[in-house]
Amino acid sequence: MMSFLKSVVALGAGLMVGVSAQAADVKLSGAGATFPAPIYQRWISEYQKSHPEVKIDYVANGSGAGIGAITKKVVDFGASDAPLSKKDIVALGGDDKVVQIPTVAGAVVVAFNLPGYDGDLKLDGPAIADIFLGNIKKWNDAKIAALNPGAKLPDLGITPVYRTDGSGTNYIFTNYLSGQSADFATKVGAGKAVEWPTGQGGKGNDGVTAIIHDTKGAVGFVELAYALQNKVPFADLKNKDGEFVKATADSVSAAGEGAVSHMDKSLAVNIWDQPGKKAYPISSFTYIIVYKDLAYLNDASKAKTLVDFLSWATSDGEKLAASLDYAPLSDGVQKKVAAVIGELTWDGKAVKPVAVAK
Amino acid sequence: MARATHGALAIRDFGPRIETCVQVTMRNPAIDPFGQVASPFGPGAPHGSGGNGSSSISGASKPLFGADAVLGFFVRMSAAIILLMMAALVIVLVNAAIPSVRMFGVKFLVTSSWRPNERTIPGAIKLNENGKPIIEDGEVQREEEKIIPASFGALPVIYGTAVSSLLALLFAVPLGLGAALFLVRIAPKFMTPPVSFLIEFLAAVPSIAYGIWGLFVLAPFLQNHLEPSLNSLFGHVPGLRWLHLDGAVTGRDMLCGGLILGIMILPIITAVSRDILKAVPRVQIEGTTALGATWWQTSREMLRYSRSGLFGAIMLGLARAAGETMAVTMVIGNSAQIHASFFAPAQTMSSLLANQFGNPESELHRSALLEVALILLLMSLLFNVVARYLVVGKSARSAAAH
Repeated sequence: MMSFLKSVVALGAGLMVGVSAQAADVKLSGAGATFPAPIYQRWISEYQKSHPEVKIDYVANGSGAGIGAITKKVVDFGASDAPLSKKDIVALGGDDKVVQIPTVAGAVVVAFNLPGYDGDLKLDGPAIADIFLGNIKKWNDAKIAALNPGAKLPDLGITPVYRTDGSGTNYIFTNYLSGQSADFATKVGAGKAVEWPTGQGGKGNDGVTAIIHDTKGAVGFVELAYALQNKVPFADLKNKDGEFVKATADSVSAAGEGAVSHMDKSLAVNIWDQPGKKAYPISSFTYIIVYKDLAYLNDASKAKTLVDFLSWATSDGEKLAASLDYAPLSDGVQKKVAAVIGELTWDGKAVKPVAVAK
Repeated sequence: MARATHGALAIRDFGPRIETCVQVTMRNPAIDPFGQVASPFGPGAPHGSGGNGSSSISGASKPLFGADAVLGFFVRMSAAIILLMMAALVIVLVNAAIPSVRMFGVKFLVTSSWRPNERTIPGAIKLNENGKPIIEDGEVQREEEKIIPASFGALPVIYGTAVSSLLALLFAVPLGLGAALFLVRIAPKFMTPPVSFLIEFLAAVPSIAYGIWGLFVLAPFLQNHLEPSLNSLFGHVPGLRWLHLDGAVTGRDMLCGGLILGIMILPIITAVSRDILKAVPRVQIEGTTALGATWWQTSREMLRYSRSGLFGAIMLGLARAAGETMAVTMVIGNSAQIHASFFAPAQTMSSLLANQFGNPESELHRSALLEVALILLLMSLLFNVVARYLVVGKSARSAAAH
């Protein structure tokens, strides 16, 4: 509705200005994931400051909606927290027609509410899986105690808290746990929405955070930013190298770097449970999705602008990420991304990104 | 928002008709109660700012050209469009639910697994004759993996809706009928209008406000004060053990959802039953009193006399409880599992929709959600039709009989 109104207004304005408009304004529109929306808005406003002729709209209406919109080409770029599924890729015209560009990385943290407990809490994948399967019911369970030698954990029931709405956060968390526990993989499985055997559900990251905040003995999973902003403590997790790591911008970037070696043509790689002493285990990229050939934009200046915006965002723009609690792409990933953006074409010919000072 | 105004609308809807019944039954039917009141559009009513008669809207003296036709067309279209919107709603829901109905049939209503994702069961490890795993090219060989498709069974949410609504009635019916009886029989005259207003005002409070109160006041109270002791009590009393929850109580559970719903349906039950009780003919009350009935016996007679209307009021409350979304989503815990204990989190049909509709996993998931919406719509329709029959139909008939 808003975009319709806007286009009507824009049409009106265009008619009034008429032929005298010399530098035709470039408008780009995107839609999708809610998780990266704050950093995307920040990038857009910064970019528009240095490029006053450009206007970019981003609508945060969910990853699924973003994939749907770019599939139907009603937006110029889509955004999704989960990499495209095989079905999505077929709908978009196949592997060689579509490009998924990692923009920033995020972490899913295991937040908890243990009144009177100030120490760090250490957990590993199998223990978390057992908690969410309902096999571990009390905080002083032997399995948790074994991971936290010396800690005085209370004799308190555990209330696992999960997302009831379909979400990228669910997708990342259930995929990670499926890799950690065969029991979890077969009983619950992985997906944007799954059937949880126990515990209680909240809607959205904010809903889950609120429940954890208010419920004694609760443990749940939320995006790092929500835990930080609401001052909910979260656990150190054991990574593939056996180290306990706190989720920070650095440890998430490290997980992204760990995945560089198995990034091939497609940059859509999962970065949970990556090797590296510093890598935080439940990390993930969020992606912008465009077609490889930008002819669908119907306007060469739009194509140039999109390429320029994406190259800037994934290089200089990354410096803005940490201030909003996102993990910037590591150098290795930035290089891969730059290469892929360089291969975007307009009617078969390369669209040269405007050189970005590095 | 629409839900919040629902109660008030329903009350207004029944109000005048019941009032009319009262007038007809309690006064001499020959006198038209409205007979002496001048119609607001009558010739005597001064309207418009102009001083002379030509600018006032005065009956049929100077009709505007075509006004009749335009207004006639407008009101007919308004009625038709509202009916069309209803029809479109049903058609869209039925149409969208078809894939799910085809896939699951009756199983949709009686199975309890709501799992939008596919599950992959890895195949068993292939063994050679000696019982050792077969290894080829350095990899353990396995049977083909099994993919278990998504499945949708709405039983937990139907159960959640039914139980939370019944809990709400358990809480709201005694209070609502009690307050109505108070207003009709013992409240001093000066007290009736403000108390009635306040009760009806409760129906106009947006449901999100109830939800926030439930989340920040009621749920913590239940978690910290009421539920732990009750839960351990249930654990020790034989025969009540099924009510005990083996785990941590959180306050966001079936009980909290039921209580919030109870508070939300209280105004509609109170207001409608008050009007019904008012409509009990004076002869009935005077007759019982004349026979020496005590206050309590007269009241019981009143309740008995208007039982079908009161049942209708309860059905209206039930209809609202079953469809209520926002507040109950915030406090019920959103777990699509069936537990006997009221201290376990649950989920209603409407809260399932609120949670999952935005970002469905697949087309089938969307279709299954729409089938839930359809069931909810049909249920509300049924409750409302029954209630309307009992409240309006019965009062009108009983009025005619006297």
